[in-house]
Amino acid sequence: MGLKKIIKKVFMLEILKGMALTFRALFKRPVTRQYPRHKREPFGGFRGLHALVRRPDGDAVCVGCGLCAAVCPSKCIKIHTSIGPDHKKVVNRYEVEVLRCLYCALCVEACPYKAVVLTDIYEYSGFTREEFYMTKDKLLANWDRFADSRKKSYFANFWRPLLSDFKSGKDQARLLDVSRAEKHKDIYIEAGK
Amino acid sequence: MIESVISSLGISGFAVSMIALLVKIAIVFGVVMLHVAYATYFERKVIGHVQLRLGPMTVGPHGLLQPIADGIKSFFKEDIIPSGADRHVFKIAPVISVFAALGCLAVVPFFDGFVLANINIGLLYIFAMSSLSAYGIVMAGWSSNSKYSFLGGLRSTAQVISYEVALGLSLVGVMIMSESLNLTQIVEAQQKYWHGMFIIPQFLGAFVFMIAAFAETNRAPFDLPEAESELVAGFFVEYSGMRFALFYMAEYIGMLVMSSISVLCFAGGWTVPPFVINAFPSLAAVPGIVWFMLKIYFHVFVYYWIRSTLPRFRYDHLMALGWKVLIPLALLNIVITALIKYFC
Repeated sequence: MGLKKIIKKVFMLEILKGMALTFRALFKRPVTRQYPRHKREPFGGFRGLHALVRRPDGDAVCVGCGLCAAVCPSKCIKIHTSIGPDHKKVVNRYEVEVLRCLYCALCVEACPYKAVVLTDIYEYSGFTREEFYMTKDKLLANWDRFADSRKKSYFANFWRPLLSDFKSGKDQARLLDVSRAEKHKDIYIEAGK
Repeated sequence: MIESVISSLGISGFAVSMIALLVKIAIVFGVVMLHVAYATYFERKVIGHVQLRLGPMTVGPHGLLQPIADGIKSFFKEDIIPSGADRHVFKIAPVISVFAALGCLAVVPFFDGFVLANINIGLLYIFAMSSLSAYGIVMAGWSSNSKYSFLGGLRSTAQVISYEVALGLSLVGVMIMSESLNLTQIVEAQQKYWHGMFIIPQFLGAFVFMIAAFAETNRAPFDLPEAESELVAGFFVEYSGMRFALFYMAEYIGMLVMSSISVLCFAGGWTVPPFVINAFPSLAAVPGIVWFMLKIYFHVFVYYWIRSTLPRFRYDHLMALGWKVLIPLALLNIVITALIKYFC
């Protein structure tokens, strides 16, 4: 053992270094965020509580096509539709079992009408499973809660009903994004043939 | 002072000193209990800030009422005794722990003249009491009838017995220098030197004492008896409510007692070194209790500081350090001190 090592051991230099480090940390700014008082603004694109977008006239945008239910990996979306009086499809039930959802947002991507969204609400808790079984009314209420917390301009994206983008052809599949369709015109034409 | 107030009430004789003693006990008990409550708060704050957290912040401004809330909570909590436990031993173990810890306070002079029992064997008495507190731990570990408690109790026994030796030997140097076991006289003996603190001639003893005191009070890095990460909480796993709180109290009072012995024996107790007084004569007006408290809380802070810095010792390292390093060092210290005392 060299002299250096002996000195290090006798005066416990390593321990003193560690002590100096912790002492300096004592005067640094704590990084704690005091949660209920200081809430963190979720980052853009945060995937939280489910909601069904409400049309300006009050009903859900959802048309009951069932794409979201089809694409859902955990199969937690249940849709029941029926034929209405003027031969229109009526969405009787749109239900999400939130406890089974894995927040992948594939349903949001799949929806041709942007009718289902994952809001940035992350504070929801309850004592029973029923509270997390979201019926259509609950999902619309979630949307209202989300809408109240945001500026109107934020919703232009949702409220300008994307339906207006869909100048439906006679028997063509509807395209989600017009500009995208423009960009890949040849592919779509190819597919159309 | 207390005596004169009581005798002015028309009481005389033996009753005066008796009542004065009871009043003093009440004062010490109250202050120490308050200290214990806020020592937990202090610890949580220190460790919190070391880890860049805030510590308790919710109850009261900056969490100042947290210890009170904790006390009330543990007082009203359900008292659970495991069905396999030895009930009587289980019940008496925390009482022994607290009793032994509180008993030490009887001989601690808080400032000049304020000591509950000014006896000639003060230091010896403290050693006796602090070994007694190990009984509480062992009994708790045994009677709980749980493997974690049992391991904690076993570890504690071995640890306390081996470090007791080093602890006792480290103070022999102080005893030789002050020629007394009375804590008040030890403090007065330090005043005869220019430095006013035995930590300077007795640095070896102070070093050994410091480490042994950590082990004796089962604090990190020697907290093997309650090693959270291995034994859940060690010897008091099965305790809940007020009994659990009693063990906590015993631990914090133990820390206070060890800090006060360290302050009294090595740092001049309630006095300030004479050379400081000579340099700043106005400091002599500051009451002794202030210096005592400052020194005590520095020590308590060091306890927390070390806890927040060092990881736990491995068990064989602990024993090796105790027997192979600390005891020889303490013996060396005794020999050197004795030789200097004899020839100078």
